[in-house]
Amino acid sequence: MKLNEKTKFGIVGVLIILFVSIIFIIKNNNKENQFIGELNVLNWTSYIPEEIIQDFEKEEKIKVNYGTYSSNEELLAKVSSAAPGTYDLVFPSDYMVELMSARDLLEPLDLEKLPNKQNLNPLFLSQEYDTDNKFSLPFLLATTVLIYDSSKLDSLTSYRDLLKPELKNNVVLLDDQRVMIGAFLNAEGFDSSDFDDAHLEKAQNFYKKLKPNVKAFDSDSPKTFFITKEVDAGIVWNAEALLAKQENDNLKIVYPAEGFTLSMDNYVILKNAKNRDSAYKFINYLLRDDVSKRIVEEYPYISPNKSAENLSPDELYEILKNGTYIKNVGENIKKFDTFWANIK
Amino acid sequence: MKPRLDPFKLLTTIPVIIYSFFLILLPLVYIFFISFFKSDNYGGFEISFSLKNYLEIFNPAYLKIFAVSIFIGLTTTLICLLIAYPFSIFLRDKSQKTQNLIIKLVMVPFLTNSLIRTYGWITLLRKNGVVNSSLLSLGIIDSPLNLMYNNFGVIVGMVYTLLPFMILPVYSAVSKVDQNYLDAAEDLGAGKLRRFFRVYLPLTLPGAFNGSLMVFIPAIGFFFISDILGGGKAMIIGNLIKNQFLTARNWPLGAALSIVLLVMTFGLVKLYEKIGGNLDELGGG
Repeated sequence: MKLNEKTKFGIVGVLIILFVSIIFIIKNNNKENQFIGELNVLNWTSYIPEEIIQDFEKEEKIKVNYGTYSSNEELLAKVSSAAPGTYDLVFPSDYMVELMSARDLLEPLDLEKLPNKQNLNPLFLSQEYDTDNKFSLPFLLATTVLIYDSSKLDSLTSYRDLLKPELKNNVVLLDDQRVMIGAFLNAEGFDSSDFDDAHLEKAQNFYKKLKPNVKAFDSDSPKTFFITKEVDAGIVWNAEALLAKQENDNLKIVYPAEGFTLSMDNYVILKNAKNRDSAYKFINYLLRDDVSKRIVEEYPYISPNKSAENLSPDELYEILKNGTYIKNVGENIKKFDTFWANIK
Repeated sequence: MKPRLDPFKLLTTIPVIIYSFFLILLPLVYIFFISFFKSDNYGGFEISFSLKNYLEIFNPAYLKIFAVSIFIGLTTTLICLLIAYPFSIFLRDKSQKTQNLIIKLVMVPFLTNSLIRTYGWITLLRKNGVVNSSLLSLGIIDSPLNLMYNNFGVIVGMVYTLLPFMILPVYSAVSKVDQNYLDAAEDLGAGKLRRFFRVYLPLTLPGAFNGSLMVFIPAIGFFFISDILGGGKAMIIGNLIKNQFLTARNWPLGAALSIVLLVMTFGLVKLYEKIGGNLDELGGG
């Protein structure tokens, strides 16, 4: 390629501008030192409203570097491939807390430093994945629910009801293999983490019957399918269902009769965290009554915080009693992966 | 003549070399090694040597995904070819100014993130979307068509996203065909179709193959399109690889799948070279 002097000059000019702006950005980043501390957080996407983080930064003069992930496995991959001390505070779900503590990735929590812990409803403490809350405190609880449009469908109470022929090409499911296979197992009367081959086969047959009714799998924003009336029924996360209901009054939310998945996300501090004190301050801040309330107003999951509760004590009790957490199944996770590849 | 070290060339190539080394070559070498390791089921791996990951690809469930991907990839490529040829032949007779303008327009969509453009299609194709409601109100159909959340939607999305990669090389090849050949063919009584098959096609085959490569390969890997427009119902190889890294915690299998994909690509490039393609032109015409 022959270049004339003018083009050469232009290219060199662009390179210089790029170089200068990179230096400028790096310098500017270091200059923001009105902060007295720093905190590196990794959290699920759409989980804490932006303004809450900004308010915390102003109040405590701690700069929050906030990154996101969209699955527990992505979190694990990020934490275990980064240099120790890269992240301070993360929000793994139940089984991932167990897995991370087994792999010695977590720092035991010093509950003395979290006076706002008293705001938590004891119902949510000491769950099976961390029996003494040694490493974790609950942040938000998600559950799978059934949702349907009551103007199109008389009733829907169980996963089996999704097989109704009038729901042909009219059901949305979560694009999450563990949760959905768990639901198919539940529908056949098994535990959601059962990896017995015969039971998995039955679950697969359940899906085969359901398949003609399934319009799509979506975990990002299944609520849209109900707001735009694309489908009449589905299995979605509780907060998505509530947000959809705000837009469409005909929607009804039910807890499936055969059981459903609980997914509790927790505060944990990572081993070798560099900003432990900042992490405690942030957890304590999020545990505050007013802050917890603001979070569930924006993202209506179930808050373990007593004053932010959006359910009656009886409902809560029922949910925790009938729902099950996903368990770590070790190398049997492969069976779930081939199951998923098979049905897709 | 001894090659002289031009400071300008040095200045402009060093960043590319550094970039390719750290962001392309090193990760590839890393992936290559991981593909022989054993998964520890927690997203990590134990260092060992086995071909187990490669053998696992022959699981019927995974082979089915390969078949679906290749079907989607080939259909997309064929449709892109069917659009790109008439388009290029039509364009070649226009004035240079018009040609430049239209080729620029072909590239305009690149200014918007392809994920966002794919979301845009939802508004058009969904049950109550623009296409269905127009057809319904015109009385052409009685009930909404299923335009997305199936393979049709996936292929629409793929063709839309990848068409520029076909048009650019095909147009570049078609515009280089000497007018004299076409005139000679016409004088000898060849009709439009005949001129296409006997003059255009043989002379532009490398360009068409170049475009096909650049359409087919992304089409079997663009998992976001099959997720968004296919409703996540059909997995393509891209989804399968993504799942190994993000849900199945099986990096070695994901790595092995990536290597297989890479070998497939490499084979196609070799084939391209064999039919007379110029490797330099693979850079985008």
